[in-house]
Order: sequence, then structure tokens, then C-alpha cells
Amino acid sequence: MHLIRSQAALAVKELARNRAQAVLALVGVVVGVGALVTSMALGRGAQTAIQDQLLAAGVNMIIITSGNYQVKQPGSGGAPADHGDLRSPSEFDSRFVEAPRNHSYRSRPAFAGYPGGLRLGAALDSRDFVLRPAHFEDDPMAVHDHPTAAQRLGDAMAGLGAAATLSIDDARAIRTQLPGVEFVASGVHENARITVDDGGAKQWFTRLHGTEADLPTIRRGWVFPYGRFFSEQEVDQSSQVMVLGRVVADRLFGEGVEPVGRRVLMWNQPFEVVGVVGSSNWAVQPTPGDDQFDAVYLPVSTVHRLLNLSKLNTITVTTKIAGETTEMAEAITELLRKRHGITEEMPDDFTVRTQAEQVLSKGLAPDLARVVSGNLTSVDSLTMEQLAASMQRSNRTLLALLTGVAAVSLLVGGIGVMNLLFLSVTQRTREIGLRMAMGARSRDIALQFFVEALVLCAVGGVLGAIAGTFAAYGLEGVLAWSTDVSPASAIVAAVVALLLGVFSGVLPARRAAKLDPINALHHE
Amino acid sequence: MALINLRNVGKTYEMGANRVAALHDVSLSIDEGEFVCITGPSGSGKSTMMHILGCLDRPTQGSYELDGQQVASMSPEELADTRNRRIGFVFQGFNLLPRTSALENVEVPLLYSRSLPNAAERKRRGLAVLDALGLKDRADHHPSQLSGGQQQRVAIARALVNEPSLILADEPTGNLDSATSVEVMNTLQALRADRGITVILITHEAEIAAYGTRVISIRDGVIREDRPNPDRRPAHDQAAAAVAEA
Repeated sequence: MHLIRSQAALAVKELARNRAQAVLALVGVVVGVGALVTSMALGRGAQTAIQDQLLAAGVNMIIITSGNYQVKQPGSGGAPADHGDLRSPSEFDSRFVEAPRNHSYRSRPAFAGYPGGLRLGAALDSRDFVLRPAHFEDDPMAVHDHPTAAQRLGDAMAGLGAAATLSIDDARAIRTQLPGVEFVASGVHENARITVDDGGAKQWFTRLHGTEADLPTIRRGWVFPYGRFFSEQEVDQSSQVMVLGRVVADRLFGEGVEPVGRRVLMWNQPFEVVGVVGSSNWAVQPTPGDDQFDAVYLPVSTVHRLLNLSKLNTITVTTKIAGETTEMAEAITELLRKRHGITEEMPDDFTVRTQAEQVLSKGLAPDLARVVSGNLTSVDSLTMEQLAASMQRSNRTLLALLTGVAAVSLLVGGIGVMNLLFLSVTQRTREIGLRMAMGARSRDIALQFFVEALVLCAVGGVLGAIAGTFAAYGLEGVLAWSTDVSPASAIVAAVVALLLGVFSGVLPARRAAKLDPINALHHE
Repeated sequence: MALINLRNVGKTYEMGANRVAALHDVSLSIDEGEFVCITGPSGSGKSTMMHILGCLDRPTQGSYELDGQQVASMSPEELADTRNRRIGFVFQGFNLLPRTSALENVEVPLLYSRSLPNAAERKRRGLAVLDALGLKDRADHHPSQLSGGQQQRVAIARALVNEPSLILADEPTGNLDSATSVEVMNTLQALRADRGITVILITHEAEIAAYGTRVISIRDGVIREDRPNPDRRPAHDQAAAAVAEA
């Protein structure tokens, strides 16, 4: 240790003595390591950018809808089924009060207009004869000041999105039991009339999404020109807060007006506006009638509380990796079937679709879309995932090219250091002889030059890593290339610099060590 | 007891098909505390003699005993260690490291010492030796900032720093004017007188050889003359006289 330290000090001194040459050799190493760090940053950046673009396009998104309209008739040869025929009335009846059994409608705070939770009927569970409260909206005598479940969700008999087969617990299970899931947001969707709470008549009919605080992380293309999305805490407390889509905010308050902190009314209830959501993607512009920005967002818990609901219409899932949606969709299907106790011969009571399918079937007539998505269930794996894979392949090619360039510059840098050391051995032959006369062993001499190479390469490595990082940020700033400088590239740079030092130091060190002391002493 | 014992030592170089005998059947014994001057013209074999005595080279024939140890059978590592501990070299061209302070130059042998003195210890010993040679205030000077005599004294300090029993000086005054030569010879004589260090000095100048207690002349690889020099020149008085003159 002592020897290494004194040798390192000696090496620094020697290098300082031959400053001009050392600097030249150093430049080679700096360029080599710098090129490596830059190329790694560019490569990783491209990878991240591709992944981000695919994720922003929703390639990693899976949407689970309650009900099922694309199941095939048993033995019908895969023809898209008319959903109405799928469920016998008895099936429907039992489903209506079915799982999850650990949930009680009564556990939710009652809607203000119905103290204690109005309940006039009780359904009989055909299997275990447990009396269960029916939904208060099923009371035919009740007068509602908001759309009832039947009105909101369409004919329950259809077994469509109206079918209340998904629960918060399902969402939780997907979140906790499936690795590879990135985010899960549960959703309740309604139509709503929003009024500005200022005594005026400004109102707007729009879509209402009851969801969770995670949603902005799933919708990567979202920005908040005003305020923010609602928080986890507001979801927990089922606060009466609302995030307006850009279109809604413009219609209700006018363009360029800050609506955060204002109050709006819906279902005769006041809501505080906490934010406005817009699009960061020029390709996706908020337009009246769209589902994202001509919409308002509320905590799902608030919607559940006010409407005294417990079911979800949709669960939105994102996968960590863009190309995994097909596998993930299968895993989700399996999990939900198990949770819902669906036997093998029965069809799903939910629909799992990937965003890719939706993109493909967009613009098609509903019948046609069902044909497409019903018959080509693996359509996403043929298109979007392949697109992702091919983009990643081309990215790997680019990365290999950049790494090749870095390797060449490293080789040149290493040869530069080796050259400097060979030159140094020649120039300092007398000194080597002198040191040998004074008791230096061959290995002391070898170590001296070896350490010099290591020191040069270490210094070059550090400077190169710094230069490469700056170069990467420079490229990002000037050319708008996406880069990603990671700690891993620093480690790689360190290892490469060390190897370079070994590579360029061994031969000169051997030559120095093999010198004959007498010849070296009399070398001119 | 003899510090150096050479018995029938020979050194033959193989140069292609030719065999050149640089030393031939040399037997020699040098006691501790002697100041031996080896003289001879160039090509006489005195340099080869010096290399063998300095453990830089091994003889091809005969045996060499230094301080009771057989050198001829030593491995290169043992030779290096012997050079480090027992022998201090002083060269004609001083051979100081350029752009390196006098102190750091003196510390170099300590870097290779098996006892591995630490930095503080190296500095202490380096300064002590420089002080003994009257160079303490020059410790931070680079060789280019020192006179020839000072440089050679730094080189002598470097040779002394590991406290060797033998100083081998190869034409130490070859690059110096006569006044400075006297100064250096004075230093070497003082080493012998004060510390009892054995000095072997190689020179081709009879004038310099006159400072030794014993003069050996070599020619064609053979010792021609080996005589004591009882009326050796004391450099001390001359140095004092030179100072007085100036």
C-alpha cells in the first residue's frame, strides 16, 4: 500500500515533469472515454425516448370494462356474438347481487338526499339465502334528482358497461398481485351537467370521470395549465374537488381565465375546482366532445359516495414495458376470472382491451370494430408491439454504432498513452538505470510506469466522463436529441479507463523492467 | 575483516562469436575503512570491475564476497537489495533527477528500501544527510539551481542516505573543475574519516588517485599494481587554502 501510494505520487510528479506530452496523451483518453459516455447517454436516451413515445401513445395501456360484448357463442366458430343473447335471465339475477361478498352498500356514507341510505327492497341470493340490500336506485317509487343507475348506464339487461362486475378490490388486486403493472386507476364514468356557482346560467354538459390520483401518471400527455390533479388524500377523504378538462374550463370560465379555487355545481352539490388539464401533445388537441379534455375528473370515492355506488365501469392499467400488453391482458383476465369465480365454460363478465386495439378500431363502425377486435384479439401484438420491438432494434443498431465509435477512440487514446510511456521509457533510460543502481527491483520499475499509465487513464477517465456528460447535455440542448446520463455510465467509464490503463501500461512497463542496469546507466 | 573479497574473478562477454575477457583472474581484498582508488586507461576493465563490485553485474568466473555474503550466486532481486542497503553510488554525471528537489533526490533510495520508511521518516533522514554535507539550505533547490560541486554533494548525500558500508564513486570529479574536485574529494575523505565508510573510487587521473589510501591500477583486465599510499593528499588543507585564496 505504502509502495503504491509513493508510486502514485511519483507517477504524478513524473507526469507533471513531462506536462506537454502527458496532456496530449490525456486528450486521447478524455476523447475516448468522453465518446463512450456520450454514446451511452445517447443510446439510453434514444431508448427512453422510444419507450416514452410508445407509452405516451398508450401502447402500454390496458382498459378493463365491466360487462362483455365480444364473447363468442359457444361453438359458434369465433363469430362476434350478440351480447344480448349471452346471459340467461337467471344468470343475470344472481349476478346482480353477486360478488364481492365482503362489500356492503351500507358501508358508504349515504348521499345527502337519502339519510341513512334509502333501501326498500332486498334481493334473495339464490345460493345461500342471504338477504342482501338492493341498490336504493332500484326503488321504483323514489324520485331522484340525478340520473339513476339505469338511466346513466343504459339497460342493465344488456350486460354492457352497465354491468357492475368490477370493484375497487379488483383494481387493488391487479395493482398488488401482478408484477409488471405500473399504475392502476379505477374509473366510474357518467354524463354530467356542470354549472358555475355564481348565480349565472353558464353550464356545460360533459363527461364525468371518477378516478384516482394516479391517472396523470398514466396519461403521459397531460399538462396542467392551471392548478393540479386531485391528491391521494382528497381521494381518501372523498373530497368534493374537481379537475376540469381544458374544453370545460374554456366553456365555463372563458379562455385564459384562472378557474382554480372557483366553485362549480353538479348534482346540486358544490365542487371546488383544483386544476385544469390540457394536452402537451400537439397531435392531441382538446376538442369539444372528446373524452379526455371535454370532461371533468373527480375522485372515484367522491362519485361513489355521492351516487352511493361501489362498482367501477373501467379499470385502467399500464404496464411497465410497452411490449407486454398482450401477456398482461391475459394475466388480468385470469386474475379477474378467478376473483369473480367464473367457471371454465362461462364467458368473462368483463372486457380486457389494449389501447392498441382501441386505436385500431377507432373510426370503424361499431359492428365492424367488434368484428375486428373480437376476431383479432392478438392484433396489438402484431402491430404496436412489433412497432415497439422494431424501434428498439433500430435503436440497438444505433447504440452499437456509437459504441463502435467510442471503442475506436478509446483504442486511439490507449495507443496514445502507450506511446507516451514508450517514449518516456526511452527518454528516462538513464534514470531507470540509476534507480536500479540505487536498489529498485525490476518490479519497482515496472510498477512505476504501470502506475503512470493508470494515473493518466484515471485522470483521463474522470475528465472524459465529465466531458462526455457535458457533451450529452450539449447535444440535448442544441440538437434536441434525448440523452440519459446514468450512474451506470460513470461506472462503465471508470472500468474502461482502468482497463485502458492496464492495456497501455503493461508493455512499456515490461520494457522498462527488462532494461539492463549497466546499459541503462550508460545510455545517452 | 575484509569487506570485499574477490577471488579469481573473471568477466567474459560474448559478442557474437568473439569472447572478450574484460576482467581476468582478479583477486583482491579490501578492508573496512580503506579509501581505494582504482586507476587505468579507458578499456582497461576498471568499469567492469566497478560494475561487479557494485553488484550491478555478476562475474562469469570466481567468487565475490561482500560483507561475508556471496554475491556471485545472488538473484537479481537480492542484488538489488544489496545495492540498496550496502552500496552507495556516486557517478560522474551526478545523475540527479531533473526538476526534482535535492531532498527528493536524496530520498529516492529510501523508496526502494525494504524497511519501507514512511514519508516523514524519509524526509527526516534525507534532511539529516543533507545537513551533514552542508546542504540543508539547498534541500528545496532543483539540480539546475545548484553548482556542479553542490550537485555532486547531493549525489553523495543520496549515496549515504541508506547508511551503506561502501561508497562506489565512478569518476566523481570528471565533470568538475579542479577547485570543486578538491571540495568533493574532501567530502569523500571526511566520510571515511568520520564514519569509517569504505570508499572505492574509479578514476583515470593520477592526481585524484593520490587522495586514496591505496591505489590499484588495472590494465587489460588484470591488476598491474596494488600499493598502499601512505602519503596521500589531504583534501582538507587544500580546500581551506582554496577558500583562503578566494
